Amino acid sequence: MKASLQAQQKVLEELWEQGLSGQSLLRKHSGLIDAFICDCFAKVANDNVSESVALIALGGYGRQEQFPYSDIDLMVLYSPWFKRKIQEVSDAVLYPLWDTGMEVGHGVRTIKESICQGKEDFFFQVAMTDARLIDGSQELFEELQVQYKKNFIEGQRDEFVRTMKLFRSERREQFGTHAFLLEPHIKEGKGGLRDIQAMLWTAKVVFGLDGLSEIVSGGILLEDEAHEFSSSWNMLTKIRNRLHYISRRKNDQLYFEQQLDMAEAFGYAGHDGVLGVEQFMRELYSHLQRIAVTTDLFFEHIDEVLGLREENERSVGDRVVEKGIEIRNNRICLTESVETIRRRPQLLMRVFLASARNGLPVHHRTQRAVSLNLDLISDKAQHSGRLSRPFFEILMEGKEVLSVLEAMLETGMLGAYIPEFKRIHTLAQHDLYHIFTVDRHTLQAISELQKVLLEEPQIASEVVSLRVLYLAVLLHDIGKGASSDHSIIGAEIVPDIGKRLGFSEEECVALAFIVRYHLFMPENAMRRDLSDEAFIGRCGEMIRTHDRLAMLYLLSVADSKATGPSAWSDWKAALLREMFLKIHTRLEVDRDGEGADFQNQEYEVQGAAWLRERVRALLVGEQFFIDVNDLADDYLTSFTPEAVAGHIILHAENRTLLRQKSLALGRRQSDRYSLLIMAHDKPGLLAKIFGVLALRNLNVLNAQIFTWKDGTVVDVISVRGVEGNEYGKEGWQELNRELDLAINHRLDLTNRLYEKLRRLDGRQKGPAARYESQVVIDNTSSGRFTVIEVYSVDRPGQLYAITQALADFGISIFKAFVATEVEQLIDVFYVLDSSGKKIQDRLTQEKMRVELLGTVESPGWLNEKK
Amino acid sequence: MKKIEAVIKPFKLDDVKDALNGIGIKGMTICEVKGYGRQKGHKEIYRGAEYLVDFIPKAKIEVVVEADQVDNVVNTIRDAANTGKIGDGKIFVVPVERIVRVRTGEEDHDAV
Repeated sequence: MKASLQAQQKVLEELWEQGLSGQSLLRKHSGLIDAFICDCFAKVANDNVSESVALIALGGYGRQEQFPYSDIDLMVLYSPWFKRKIQEVSDAVLYPLWDTGMEVGHGVRTIKESICQGKEDFFFQVAMTDARLIDGSQELFEELQVQYKKNFIEGQRDEFVRTMKLFRSERREQFGTHAFLLEPHIKEGKGGLRDIQAMLWTAKVVFGLDGLSEIVSGGILLEDEAHEFSSSWNMLTKIRNRLHYISRRKNDQLYFEQQLDMAEAFGYAGHDGVLGVEQFMRELYSHLQRIAVTTDLFFEHIDEVLGLREENERSVGDRVVEKGIEIRNNRICLTESVETIRRRPQLLMRVFLASARNGLPVHHRTQRAVSLNLDLISDKAQHSGRLSRPFFEILMEGKEVLSVLEAMLETGMLGAYIPEFKRIHTLAQHDLYHIFTVDRHTLQAISELQKVLLEEPQIASEVVSLRVLYLAVLLHDIGKGASSDHSIIGAEIVPDIGKRLGFSEEECVALAFIVRYHLFMPENAMRRDLSDEAFIGRCGEMIRTHDRLAMLYLLSVADSKATGPSAWSDWKAALLREMFLKIHTRLEVDRDGEGADFQNQEYEVQGAAWLRERVRALLVGEQFFIDVNDLADDYLTSFTPEAVAGHIILHAENRTLLRQKSLALGRRQSDRYSLLIMAHDKPGLLAKIFGVLALRNLNVLNAQIFTWKDGTVVDVISVRGVEGNEYGKEGWQELNRELDLAINHRLDLTNRLYEKLRRLDGRQKGPAARYESQVVIDNTSSGRFTVIEVYSVDRPGQLYAITQALADFGISIFKAFVATEVEQLIDVFYVLDSSGKKIQDRLTQEKMRVELLGTVESPGWLNEKK
Repeated sequence: MKKIEAVIKPFKLDDVKDALNGIGIKGMTICEVKGYGRQKGHKEIYRGAEYLVDFIPKAKIEVVVEADQVDNVVNTIRDAANTGKIGDGKIFVVPVERIVRVRTGEEDHDAV
């Protein structure tokens, strides 16, 4: 007999190989087992037995959904008076079943015991929902059903739903980890068969609706939703069947190595550069996705009907968010009629904005309304600022941005708004590296980008347009799924999208560049010698601006973090960061042909002598008044030889002038000006320079201050003017004049600034002190100088205040680095006291520290000086 | 039997792998490691602020070979990984007492 069941299962497998699959295979399999059990039972059955015993199939077996290697869930139910003889009957049924080698989950119980068991074990309780009589007493079986309803359904619906949802979310947590994204669990995973079952059980228990078709007639699902749902269900069933057969055991997780065979078996062949297995996985993911979404909607609906809310959910009061959009019961709801939505299609975007602003999910009915009205996202709407503005706000500032974007993806809104996005919808990549499908990966990357920007405020501040960066991250993989390089294809696609969303020509170019080279940094950081100046130089030539460098770097980090655990580690982070810093420094040098090469030690040590030679070579043939040997190493390495030679030539040409006056030459450099100032050093000179710049509304971005041995000061200051205030030749001459007056004490800088800033202070409150001010005085970093570092809020006149305070202490500043970050000022001064020595005295140091701190913290400094 | 462990600069990894393949060494173990050695972590200055990188990313290659191949392998790695600059890395040669292939239970020479 054992042989006969196995033989029949073998036949079943052959039928399967010939194409029998899906539900019919499961039913047939259940039928085979039914017959086997009936045969066994017949051997011991007599009237007495048939009245006192019922053989009941539970769970999947009960539903006649017996998968090839699944457990057989069998219960032997008996009347209490039969207790003495039940052993004989159960042995007769269970032993042969065990002998077949199948896994049998069994229980031998009375009705009372069954109810007790159900109270202790929720899974048993749920399994009884699917109870089906195989053989034996109909009466007994019906009695069990009655008791079951009485004990577990009537008055218990809320509790049932709560427990069901609890297990559901536990399952999501347990099977939603990275490992399961790459190798989906067909049964327990998100959107797996268990989700379907949970919905069917709940429908049965709560509404008495048995099966999908009754759920539809009950109005909970629409006809075509149910249709799509059951086709996904069917697909999962087929996959699980095959999975059992090829694994030769009860295996419900589709392992990476099995995916190729699976795809082949289902007839997926590769084309256009997409592997067959990638297409197969793409479809599998969209099936899982559909089931997850549909069952989510179902449970939300149940919650509403029963008035349930998760207890830990914080409650936000109901209110109107804007015309047509309200918060009700912690959900964002669209309250306008279809006609109004037709007139104002931006509402479809604004519901997600409301969701992003409030951190609340969009109501499932509203989600459905969005899905049904996607045709409103016409060409015109795609071009409209009314949609692009809220869209960018969602991306850049949305709370729980991942959930919001997922909802936009699932409703089809994202694909309707950016049709190109459909290219990568649920696109899978068959490797162990990418654990998300491409679409979800890009959404994840947006969420990572938000975090990275917060962690790296300095680098973020170099990005000129964050909109460009965000869109680049969203679209960086848009070219995937085709046969050639996705970066190149992506770069061709994105400018049109940018244009549609209102980007300027310049922004579109930047967008295309970032998408084109989004793998450049991660690919090269690990493979290239980062101390190879020639390579870094080439990177600099390619990337060209700090803006683009910052965007590439931030995108690389967000992209890597969103790819999977193997794509990101602090090991890789260190290399990527080093590459960023190296190129950054290089751009600094290249940009001005001057600019700071902050502390590139190798370059400095090996380079100074060579640079000196270069400068000398450039100066051949004329008479100069500066000995190249006297130029300091750090000065030489901070500029190109051409720039240094330029300084020396300028000095020679204006030697007489420079004895009395100063020289200020500005020139435009993209969004800023580079200002070269030469003058003979005097106490307080730097303060005067900064004072004049503040008077002229020029913001100092960074400054490099050097003093030649003969006392000539060479300062290169990068400044930015107020918007719309262009500086031409006259402008610089005017500034030069004012500077000369100030140097010769004919301009009351303090007073003028006080007047100016007092008016300014009244109008604009200086930025709030988000950073703590700090003053560090350090005698160890430099052999010759005391190094003073000042960190403070950046406000107009601040640099003047600091340098003037230093001058008041009689301190000479020989070298300075100034950098402004977002509202923060970082100054590093290399100084000596009036006698040309380091500041060693503790007491003086402390006095200076206190004085400087007071100066930077209180805007009233001008008052005191007055 | 000896095990050769080489800690090298990450960007030299492909060169070293190719060079080893070139002399017939096909099997090796590679991992990402963090060096805290003589080269030390370094400070990078970025817009006036310091970033401290407290380790140096390195790659480690492990190969097990017969004793008579050691010199050849060491020289090959050395040639391929050399840039002449600080931080090129180190090569260690250590004796191996016993090798077992997990699948078959083969030992020593058969298991290499």
